[in-house]
Amino acid sequence: MPGRPSDSGDSLVPFSPEAVGPVTHRVHHGLRSPLFRVYVSWSRGNNLQVACIRPPPPDSETLDGTGAEGPEEEIGGKVVEVKLGNGEGEVSEAERRRIAYGSVAPFALLQSQKNLFAASSRMPNSSIRTEWWHHVLEYSNSISNLLGERKPLPSAVIEDPKMILQPGEEPKSLKAAWQLMEIFYVDKQVSSWLPECLVDWLADYDSLLTRTESTIHTKISSLQKKLDTLKVFEDDPDYWEGLSAALAVGWLDTVVKLLRLHGSYQLDQLDSREIENGLVEAVAVLVSTMPRMRPDLPPGRLGQCCKTKQEYIKAWEKWRGHVSKLESSAFWVQCSHPETRDGLRNLLQIMLGNIKNLTVATCHWMELFISHFLYIRPFTVGLEGMQNLAQKCMQLKPSSNYNGLIRLLTGIFGENPEVVLAECSKSFGSWMVVHAMELLTASSDNFGILLHEERYNLGGISIEELHRLGYAQVLSSHPLTWQIAPTYLASCPKQGLGLLEILLYRQPVQNYQLVLKTLEICRLYELENISSSIMKIAGMCHWKHGRKGSGVYWFQQAGDKVSLDRIAQQLFESIGKSVSDDSFKQWEGLIELLGSDVGTAGGLEFLHKYRDFKRSLHLALEGRAVDAARQSMQSLIQLMRNPSTPQRFWLPLLHDSVTLLNWKPQPLLNVAETNLLLNKLQELSMAKLRPDYCDTNLPPQALSSVRLALAANLGRAILEEC
Amino acid sequence: MAKEVAALEKGAACCGWSRSGERLAVGSVNGSVSIYNSSSSPSSKWKAHASGVVDVVWLPPECGDALACISGDGTLSLWEEVEEGSQPVTWKMCKLFDSSSYQILDVQFGVFSTSIKMVVAYSDCHVKIYELLDLLELDKWQLQAEFQNVTDSVSRFGRPSCLSASIAWNPQRGENQQASFVLGFNSDLPQFNSPKIWEFEEAHQRWLPVAELVLSEDEGDRVHAVAWAPNIGRPYEIIAVATCKGIAVWHIGLNPESDGRLPTEKVALLSGHDDEVWQLEWDMGGMTLASTGADDMVRLWQCNLNGVWHEQATLDCS
Amino acid sequence: MAEPGDLRLHRYPQSKSVDAVRWLPSASAFGRLVAVAVHDPDADPAAASALEIHSLSPTQATSPLCLRSSWPSPSRIAALRASHLPHNPLAAAAAASTLGGSLHLLLVDLVNGAVDTELSISGDRSFHAGPVTGLDMQIGGGECVTAGEDGRVNVVGAGEGRMEHRRVHDSNGLASYTAARWGSPAEFATGGVGFGVRWWDQRKPEGLVAQFKGSWGRGSVTGMVHSIDIHPSRKHICIVGGSSGTVFAWDLRWQQQPILLSGVGLNGTDQPVSESEVWEVQYDSYTQSSGITSAPSTKILPVMVCSEDGILAVLEQGEDPVELLAEPCAINAFDIDPQNPSDVVCALEWESMAILSRGRDVVAIQ
Repeated sequence: MPGRPSDSGDSLVPFSPEAVGPVTHRVHHGLRSPLFRVYVSWSRGNNLQVACIRPPPPDSETLDGTGAEGPEEEIGGKVVEVKLGNGEGEVSEAERRRIAYGSVAPFALLQSQKNLFAASSRMPNSSIRTEWWHHVLEYSNSISNLLGERKPLPSAVIEDPKMILQPGEEPKSLKAAWQLMEIFYVDKQVSSWLPECLVDWLADYDSLLTRTESTIHTKISSLQKKLDTLKVFEDDPDYWEGLSAALAVGWLDTVVKLLRLHGSYQLDQLDSREIENGLVEAVAVLVSTMPRMRPDLPPGRLGQCCKTKQEYIKAWEKWRGHVSKLESSAFWVQCSHPETRDGLRNLLQIMLGNIKNLTVATCHWMELFISHFLYIRPFTVGLEGMQNLAQKCMQLKPSSNYNGLIRLLTGIFGENPEVVLAECSKSFGSWMVVHAMELLTASSDNFGILLHEERYNLGGISIEELHRLGYAQVLSSHPLTWQIAPTYLASCPKQGLGLLEILLYRQPVQNYQLVLKTLEICRLYELENISSSIMKIAGMCHWKHGRKGSGVYWFQQAGDKVSLDRIAQQLFESIGKSVSDDSFKQWEGLIELLGSDVGTAGGLEFLHKYRDFKRSLHLALEGRAVDAARQSMQSLIQLMRNPSTPQRFWLPLLHDSVTLLNWKPQPLLNVAETNLLLNKLQELSMAKLRPDYCDTNLPPQALSSVRLALAANLGRAILEEC
Repeated sequence: MAKEVAALEKGAACCGWSRSGERLAVGSVNGSVSIYNSSSSPSSKWKAHASGVVDVVWLPPECGDALACISGDGTLSLWEEVEEGSQPVTWKMCKLFDSSSYQILDVQFGVFSTSIKMVVAYSDCHVKIYELLDLLELDKWQLQAEFQNVTDSVSRFGRPSCLSASIAWNPQRGENQQASFVLGFNSDLPQFNSPKIWEFEEAHQRWLPVAELVLSEDEGDRVHAVAWAPNIGRPYEIIAVATCKGIAVWHIGLNPESDGRLPTEKVALLSGHDDEVWQLEWDMGGMTLASTGADDMVRLWQCNLNGVWHEQATLDCS
Repeated sequence: MAEPGDLRLHRYPQSKSVDAVRWLPSASAFGRLVAVAVHDPDADPAAASALEIHSLSPTQATSPLCLRSSWPSPSRIAALRASHLPHNPLAAAAAASTLGGSLHLLLVDLVNGAVDTELSISGDRSFHAGPVTGLDMQIGGGECVTAGEDGRVNVVGAGEGRMEHRRVHDSNGLASYTAARWGSPAEFATGGVGFGVRWWDQRKPEGLVAQFKGSWGRGSVTGMVHSIDIHPSRKHICIVGGSSGTVFAWDLRWQQQPILLSGVGLNGTDQPVSESEVWEVQYDSYTQSSGITSAPSTKILPVMVCSEDGILAVLEQGEDPVELLAEPCAINAFDIDPQNPSDVVCALEWESMAILSRGRDVVAIQ
């Protein structure tokens, strides 16, 4: 069991496609082996920081010396950041992010609609289900539009008759895969027109079936290049091959365009090749009137639309009759150009559904598969039937490697949602899994049950939640996309908030704008404890980096009474010692910051009184104004009476006031007040004997000088009062 | 897929990343420490110890930007980054823990609602737990407890000598979270080695072993690394333990049994690193385990839908 | 109050973070230029941040943007201002301050969109230590005022080939500034934490003239100031935007009675246009004020705001806010084209910028 994967198909986070055993990536650090140590740390989401450290030089003394070593020897190690779980592919990082941003709104909308539906009816009511299709289809369309524009249709400008392949943007596998899922899982209206949907799908994405082998698309595009130089088309076997290939997969427009390039249409040839031209045109007419079972055709596209089965069968039989009639016509004998004769008859055979001709005409098994829908089994229904057919086609046209798209298709035929999701994850990444899961769960109740079932092995969550968590982690890997992860985490009922808390808690706090953005997410998801943690961390960061104002602000926002109290404490300690003008200003500013309304912090209340005392004391000592002197003495008495004044400040307070106690003009304290202070002083000398007494930085004679001053004041006060 | 972030100076010996992963501290064999702020050259560098630095551990961000350095001579120093006015950023030493008779091997920090706790492991297989109430002052650590990593009385065993220690706090944060950590040693006395989960019992203000992560046949295996997975909502905890036999993944139940012990189950033994495992790191969701080892490989482990643990990818650093 | 009317929005994905946007004056037929501060966290740190100059066809607001030039910034740009140059109609000045504490003055050639010359104060800790998010430039490209998170306020003038800074104030970290705006050639306003707004006059010895502490009502709602605007015709009123959707006007003549335009007010009944951060405020000269003629000096002129929850709206005293945009992501900054006030360029959180054109059939007469 240990070490070896039992089944790589259902791994949690996709690391790489085509993984059977563990995939090995080389970390290129350019250091010579052996290494001394390797350290790792997860940074954002799935990013792993790897530090490779070389063995330290044998003699540490030589470290500072400049040896005659090469520059490489000067390096002690390298740190590399490895991005995991993002998959690689045709989609660039920036494009991936654009798609990620664009899918947030459709996803969130669908989730809220889902919640509404769940609330409005618990019963799987059929009318609700059909309504539900519309929502999923709408969602699917928004996502699909995000993945790239549809190929542009022929524009109004004069068409180039030789343009058999519409130029357009290179199709993308991601979009092709999405369309495939939409065809099979969402659009229930189309179920009877499914084969035609696949025909259209192949027309758009044929070039993506394989990168290494030839397809009809590669055939046609090389023919397109040739057309410019070719003089007599009908002599070239490629011309006929292209015709049969395009017809086999139902690219009727291409077929008719190619046929009209036939030399017999040339004005100067018309006379001599009348019969030949008639045959070409007859085939072209048959091709352009081929019945198709589909609701509509884009304007300008060939074929005959049949909306119902009956209508279609009727039209089909009639059309087939015409084809057979032409096939057995006597005109063939009169056709003097053998290539034309054989080529046209081959086209007729294809239209008659001759498997041999179809097999020759197509390249990839998928093309042969599609041709079956067109010419052999137009009513193929059910995934089982499709799977059997696909297997038959694969035997006829074996391929050496199957890419993600093909594996996805076979997964869909196999009716196994786990395989489908595993293929999505392997080939298209976790974005695809999470968003395509909505299509899967909408398609069948069984899939829904399977994907929503809570599993102990996964820590009590469902497959759906697991994939969403995985995608959120991928989003967290980038400093610009982490902010959209909460939308997905919010749709994870069990563990979403847990991961969100960790994600938010790990955001750096240096940039206040980023902190505010993080706090906004906390507010939206009501994560008060995380927001207060973040504010405390921000406060500490600013405080210790000298931005005391911001520090206090964040502590206040966090309601962090403990830290604010400690700051107040620090203020005492710094101020109890010395009062230089400069530090007083700084100190005063801090008290200002701490604010007056932090009522519960007793220490702050004291600080404010202390500040008042210091201010008036300062004024009194400067200007020797009797009012200021009296006021500061009143502040002193208030401070000494107040129980919130810590004992260790009694002495510094009294010591600061010695000058005023010895105030020459008059005693500033009455007898009762002086007695109060003397009692406090007594208490202090008793406390001094206790072991927990906290000594101040005052000179040793401070106590006695205060006592002396108080005694003198008492004496003068007694004289004054009697 | 990979990009180079920094080139370390010669003599680099150990490194550690801050909680947000933005800052990297590198200790050197000559006792200096360098700080890298997502740039290729260090923003600060200072001499922290006379002898080489063997481990650097960031303190939780609740304390600001602060770092613990363990020196080869067994001392531990705590440093914090401070800035004042136009002065450049400086790193100031807040506290030095001397290694009186036993060397300090490892240190780890846990965050709680009103305090930071620090576990320090010594070379005689005992640990000290300190508590810091005032996060503004990183020098006021109070010793809260001191004990050895054994479930029974220590007298019978004699004095162990220990090469390395592995500590991992339960990463869960929260109001009602009991403080707990897992501790394992690499020593010459088997009884001390096996990893045990210690939990703080609020009622009696003491630390109790609540689980031992060892099967009888593996008893006494030297422990090289432990890692406690973040739990974002699982009904059980996951702890990874690396010994000479490989990396064991344990499930630990959340509710104690009648004897007060937590139910444990070893769910996997992962072998891959042929040699010693150096480090174990869980990702943010606790779903992927990264391990490094003396084979110069980084291995990534995951559990599949069937509950089977397997190696998902390998980063070859050799 | 004018209805939003005919709005046209065009988005331009940038595949990197768009941090700040400013219109540059247009030099007649050469099209319009936008200065954009961008940051690409995936790039090498030395090349991650830049100021880009994009051009836009002069007639059509929905035409594609075209990158004209890119000036690499040593650190991520925190604030950006631009102005025309009275003596040179073919060039404009742009000032950018960074998270690294540097200030850069750029001369942009309006003909080809190239960044011609650059003056910098960089790596000087006596200037600012840490991020400088408060920045303004005098109209006409004169002096700049910078206010940083380090609590310093500087006035910077461009001398011969270099920039000279003069410290107006240093709070030694007791205050942190996050916004700055000139009111007159000598006066400016700064904003910071706790909704603190200060008014400074360079002619006064202390500099500080007045300050507002931002604790009105119960004082329960406080936050940061992100942006200040001052109308050239009403220099005594600061429009302030900040946290919790708060937008208020602080009138120097009635300093203790700010007029709340949005936010949770005294009685808690005011309906805020947004409950999240208001990142930028600007007087909107396009929107016709309903009361502009009746009470010219007491009524606050219409103000445009953008917010973290994706709202771009016009606020007017006593009226319901008019929402112009409700994006699924944050609008981090915007700028109203001074020459063409119907057009607004926005910086969107999801790595794109957008240009909003308001119906031209009701072109404001300004």
